[in-house]
Amino acid sequence: MYEADQLLVSRMRAGDQRAFDEFFNVNAPRLLAFVSRRSTLDLASVEDVVQSSLIKAVGHLAGYRAEAALFTWLTEICFHELVDGHRKAERRPTHISLDDSATASQVAELRTPAHMQPEGRLEAASHSAEVMRVLGSLPKHYALALEAKYGDGLSVEAIANMLGMSTTATQSLLARARELFRERWNFSLVGAVDLPL
Amino acid sequence: MTDPEVEQLLSRGLATRPANTETLERMRTAVSQAWKAAPNLAQSPATVESPRAGSRWALWGGLAIAASLVALSVTLLAIRPVVDRQIVGSLARSIDAGVEISQGFARARGLGAGDPLRVGDTLKVRGPILVALAQGGSLRAAPDTVMTVASDTQITLERGLIYLDKPPARGETRPMRIATRSGLIEHLGTEFEVMSDDHAVRIRVREGQVRFSGASGALVANAGTELLSSRAGAIAERPIQTYGRDWLWIAELTPNFAVEGRSLMDYLEWVSRELGRPLVFANDQARDSARRTILHGSAQNQASLDALADVLSTTTLSYELAEGAIRVHSN
Repeated sequence: MYEADQLLVSRMRAGDQRAFDEFFNVNAPRLLAFVSRRSTLDLASVEDVVQSSLIKAVGHLAGYRAEAALFTWLTEICFHELVDGHRKAERRPTHISLDDSATASQVAELRTPAHMQPEGRLEAASHSAEVMRVLGSLPKHYALALEAKYGDGLSVEAIANMLGMSTTATQSLLARARELFRERWNFSLVGAVDLPL
Repeated sequence: MTDPEVEQLLSRGLATRPANTETLERMRTAVSQAWKAAPNLAQSPATVESPRAGSRWALWGGLAIAASLVALSVTLLAIRPVVDRQIVGSLARSIDAGVEISQGFARARGLGAGDPLRVGDTLKVRGPILVALAQGGSLRAAPDTVMTVASDTQITLERGLIYLDKPPARGETRPMRIATRSGLIEHLGTEFEVMSDDHAVRIRVREGQVRFSGASGALVANAGTELLSSRAGAIAERPIQTYGRDWLWIAELTPNFAVEGRSLMDYLEWVSRELGRPLVFANDQARDSARRTILHGSAQNQASLDALADVLSTTTLSYELAEGAIRVHSN
């Protein structure tokens, strides 16, 4: 079912540099986005999590049995690293002194871009969190398909490969997933309104 | 909320900042180093990226002055870097004793699931194996089969029994070929079985067509046909069933089918192909129902009539065998 992924891993195990490049180019950006959507970690920590996950993956390629898509296997490793990442973040100091000379000079140079203004970021973060919350309430393969299509911009063919389904079945699955997302989203909005007693 | 609004909502909610190029390159370096140091590599990637052919040539070239050209050729064949040889597939499954692989005069070694097969490899099959082909499709081989991967489109069958399942690929210009001592078999988009030894070859076509070229000429065999040809060129042809006892040996090597989220139609078509039994629907209602029904969960021994009955028992459909075909109808 996941012959292409299995073959890619086989080529990597055989030391094929082009296979490694393909593996990295396809999966690293997607994993960064995957972790960003699911955590409140800062950017540097997100990068740490993804890098650690990829290093663990390439060190244990023999553990990939093609029972799921390669990306799905990587996300499972990522989840474990994410838990560790959150533990490490909790141990880090959350306050820095602006009086420190090195920090003070950096702060003086900071200019926040318009789209990074606090109001805009808060609204975007809140919207993203709500979308992720509703996605989390859908069956797993629905959420994966919607995230791959609208988050990662994958084609229907690529999603079909990832899910081990035909293109027609994937199109149909995406339609049903959107419909269920719409229902749950509307329900969540209604649920948020203060109803009169 | 309209469909475009839902799509916009999802796109906005799932958007992330594009990964920084510098970050990705830093990460690539770290991951690449870990990959090159990984213990599970078949060989060091450093050798693959830049094989030090020059020093090897110099070493063996020196010996070649004193030795014969034949000895040099033999040596070069044995030390030929693995990277030169194209990967044509990987071992997806092996049962019992598995398979041994060798190349040139190198010592034979066992092959594990996921290991690559390359042009030039010779396989000695001890237990049944399933190979996933890089170009799509699969190859199954029975115990006591010996074959060599001659190129990305040709396998030389020294002896034994193999089964090739390779649906026609769009734009494919070079057909897959099986070379035997008694003749050459060309794949024309099909499933077929080849058994060969020193004296004769037997070809059984399950789906599609194959072209056979032997000592007495070439002919095309259609689905449901068996060809027998001797090395001298005598050919016999007879009709066969595409299902039943003769095909049982490939059943234990059936590739897995992920049931979850697939349509019942996908599953029925797959079972039909694996069992070699045509799929027919009693009416349009049954066909529509198969298209609309989405499966969840898992099924054991999926490519069997028992599994088919189990799967259909959870739907409004059932089946019967009619003249070898799987006939699906509404309850």
